[in-house]
Amino acid sequence: MSADNHTHHIATAKQLWTVGIALVILTLLTVVVSNLPIPSPLDIIVALSIALVKAFLVAAFFMGLYWDVKFNSMLLIGAVVFFILMVSVTLLDTLYRDDVVPSF
Amino acid sequence: MANHSATHPAHVQHHFVDSDQQFESAKMGMWVFLVNEILFFGGLFTAYIVFRAWYPDLFTQAAQELNKLWGGVNTIVLIGSSLTVAMAIRSAQKNQKRGLELNLLFTIILACVFLVIKYFEYEHKLHLGIAPGSFWNPTPEILAELSHPKANIFFSIYYVMTGIHGLHVLVGIGLMIWLYIRARKGHFSSEYYTPVEITGLYWHLVDLIWIFLFPLLYLIE
Amino acid sequence: MEAVKTSEKTTLQVKRFKPSENPTTNFFTEERGLKAWLTTVDHKKIGLMYLGAVAFFFALAGFLAIALRTELWTPAKTFIEADTYNKLFTLHGAMMVFFVLVPSIPAALGNFILPMQLGAKDVAFPRLNLASFYIYLIGAVFTFIALFMGGFDTGWTFYTPYSSDGDSATVIWVTLGVFILGFSSILTSTNFMTTIHKLRAPGITWDKLPLNIWALYATSIIQILATPVLAITILLLSLENIMDIGIFDPAKGGDPVLYQHFFWFYSHPAVYIMIVPGFGIISEVITTFSKKTIFGYWAIALSSLAIAFIGFLVWGHHMFTSGQSPVATTIFSFLTFLVGIPTGIKIFNWVATLYKGSIDMKTPMLYVFIFLFLFSIGGFTGIMLGALSVNIHLHDTYYVVAHFHYVMMGGTLMALLAGLHYWWPKMTGKMYNETLGKVAATLIFIGFNMTFLPQFVMGAQGMPRRYYNYIDQFTPFHQTSTVGSYVLGVAFLIILYYLVKSLMSDEKAPANPWESRGLEWQSTSPPDLHNFDHTPVVINKPYDYHRPMEEFQLGLAVEHNGHGEAHDVDVKETEQENS
Repeated sequence: MSADNHTHHIATAKQLWTVGIALVILTLLTVVVSNLPIPSPLDIIVALSIALVKAFLVAAFFMGLYWDVKFNSMLLIGAVVFFILMVSVTLLDTLYRDDVVPSF
Repeated sequence: MANHSATHPAHVQHHFVDSDQQFESAKMGMWVFLVNEILFFGGLFTAYIVFRAWYPDLFTQAAQELNKLWGGVNTIVLIGSSLTVAMAIRSAQKNQKRGLELNLLFTIILACVFLVIKYFEYEHKLHLGIAPGSFWNPTPEILAELSHPKANIFFSIYYVMTGIHGLHVLVGIGLMIWLYIRARKGHFSSEYYTPVEITGLYWHLVDLIWIFLFPLLYLIE
Repeated sequence: MEAVKTSEKTTLQVKRFKPSENPTTNFFTEERGLKAWLTTVDHKKIGLMYLGAVAFFFALAGFLAIALRTELWTPAKTFIEADTYNKLFTLHGAMMVFFVLVPSIPAALGNFILPMQLGAKDVAFPRLNLASFYIYLIGAVFTFIALFMGGFDTGWTFYTPYSSDGDSATVIWVTLGVFILGFSSILTSTNFMTTIHKLRAPGITWDKLPLNIWALYATSIIQILATPVLAITILLLSLENIMDIGIFDPAKGGDPVLYQHFFWFYSHPAVYIMIVPGFGIISEVITTFSKKTIFGYWAIALSSLAIAFIGFLVWGHHMFTSGQSPVATTIFSFLTFLVGIPTGIKIFNWVATLYKGSIDMKTPMLYVFIFLFLFSIGGFTGIMLGALSVNIHLHDTYYVVAHFHYVMMGGTLMALLAGLHYWWPKMTGKMYNETLGKVAATLIFIGFNMTFLPQFVMGAQGMPRRYYNYIDQFTPFHQTSTVGSYVLGVAFLIILYYLVKSLMSDEKAPANPWESRGLEWQSTSPPDLHNFDHTPVVINKPYDYHRPMEEFQLGLAVEHNGHGEAHDVDVKETEQENS
């Protein structure tokens, strides 16, 4: 960790523009794909996969995680992991209930 | 600790040993804050997922009321602003004062464009009576399209998610203006650009959230 | 003179800095006056201000508890109306949880001790630290506004639909107060995490971190991951009250159980936010007063992190009777048993630390023993409550009330008292009366068990919690409990008396009255404004009581910029000179 302290990585303009353009293309792609007749669970998976790729590009290059100390990436991944835990454990209840919304 | 302060550049606070330690601390602190932000929005995404799993038809039906075109334009606007922020940091790192100012200015403009588009989207929906919570009062034609009995809940989620995101954009604009003023005064250089860097991180997170909001709200078929 | 950097280790020139017993200046004398206190960014002053505020709210909420217990003296009305009773127990719970237990150890003691144990001059973001204190106060103001608007009777959990229909104005105020408070703990934990990572003195590698720091680290992780979820929950609840958005309110098509999931995703980890810092204090005190290396350093350090992790997956055990799916209930019950394992690991390691130690029964150590006894009872009854079938019977009875008081008061508060007595001479430079300290500790032990042991029995026999009236058969239990609460009240007054008296006295405490090896004790009492007048260097593990004291009093011989670079490397080949 201490060794990289002195090198603040400077991304080149070309790198940043490439990432920016890739993000725009992916945005257009996700809109196009949403208009195709893809069956139900698959369309969500495709849309989320594209979003994940976009998120990866932003986090790795715009936010500089690719060049940064590993711990900051761990923080981001940790946050996502705990979010997934929260969703999946909540779904264990909401998906398997006898009554969807308990009535009183 | 007199011998300490003698070697300290002006921007380094007394409890740090050197500029790098301060920079790395600030950046880590910001990342920790972003963890907070992710779980803050995470709660909303959880509500979204739970309700979508319960009522898939509701989401397909209600999403038709959202305008894909303007949502897409806004996505590209935000991506553009992320790019200009990244360029602003690069300018600061390379001591390009003019570049830093210009890129911050572009960012502010793009963020404002985002909010203006958002405003017109809201305005259009409110006009049709598609309003959150107790203001829910759709016109008969709209009601015919939104036959699902829980349609109001989709729009509650929509308004809360985009509203809180919009609030973050607003805060971001404030921060960018603050950075712009400081940049004009020549506060930043390749030696010290910590505020630009960490505000940039915040701004990219706002972009990241929108990257997920867009397909989840607008692109449901 | 210079730091020679080899492949892995840095060699630093060090010399011994023996803390002065009679410091001419300290952090009290260097910045004086009310304005200096209110605008200070010094972590020690902020910690003390937090301590004062926490003590104030504790006194207030404790007074409410005594009023509630007095009301329960007779089965029918004693002196409070039923509606008032509902508001008072809500207030007691909300204040104790959000204003006392959550900030008590991290924000008050932790703020003071954490940078000192790391050999840092301050936390990483001192201004945010001060901001967190003011945010805490603003949150308190909001709650008081709700109080003056007529109070709220939702229970401290703000369950929908109790909180979404009825008198929504006061609920909005108090929930906004809690929302604001959340920012205060977020700022504190952000500060702690960054400080632990970036501001350690030379030589403090991860295996040399005091266990108190590990505990605060685990706490910070929980706070950072859980508090934002509380924030969004509270925000949605406020929106539910303001404009009926219908996510939680069943009348508008929402799901009240979803609210409970959201709420307990924060509030279950929050009980670990309250107890884990207490574990840290116990580890510190138990080694100091056993004069012995901690048994199972890594087991204790990592079990804190394990608790932090598993603690996130058990929230549903608060909801066994809420109508959640049987699948979820079963899994939550299983995970609840799991969380007992790391906690058990800690208890066994502490007991093993005592083995063949030279135990010195000073007041802080007395509280540690009280902690071990009470917390074990609290923990075991928690396991019982985690069992599905038993839970159906005991849910929402006094058994639950007794359980969480054994954990929260018998655990967190006893640890807080241990830490307060342990660090009191360091924080104030004054020593309290040891005899009175022991008397108060004994009274607390007696009073506590008198108050809460009968509640286990009542609960098992079916006395529901939060009830204003009860049937006659419970009268003796309730009356014993009430008397016990009075004994507790007296004991706390004694503590207040001798602590204040010690402040008034001229007698100074030595720099290291307990002969502790901890880094925070190698500074003067009270410490200098910048904690140490040198940069400390650490070569031993924090509990190496077999090493001579000199080796714990090292600092950089020459001030130079090597501090930051030496962070993650060992310090070796030290040359010692006497200062």
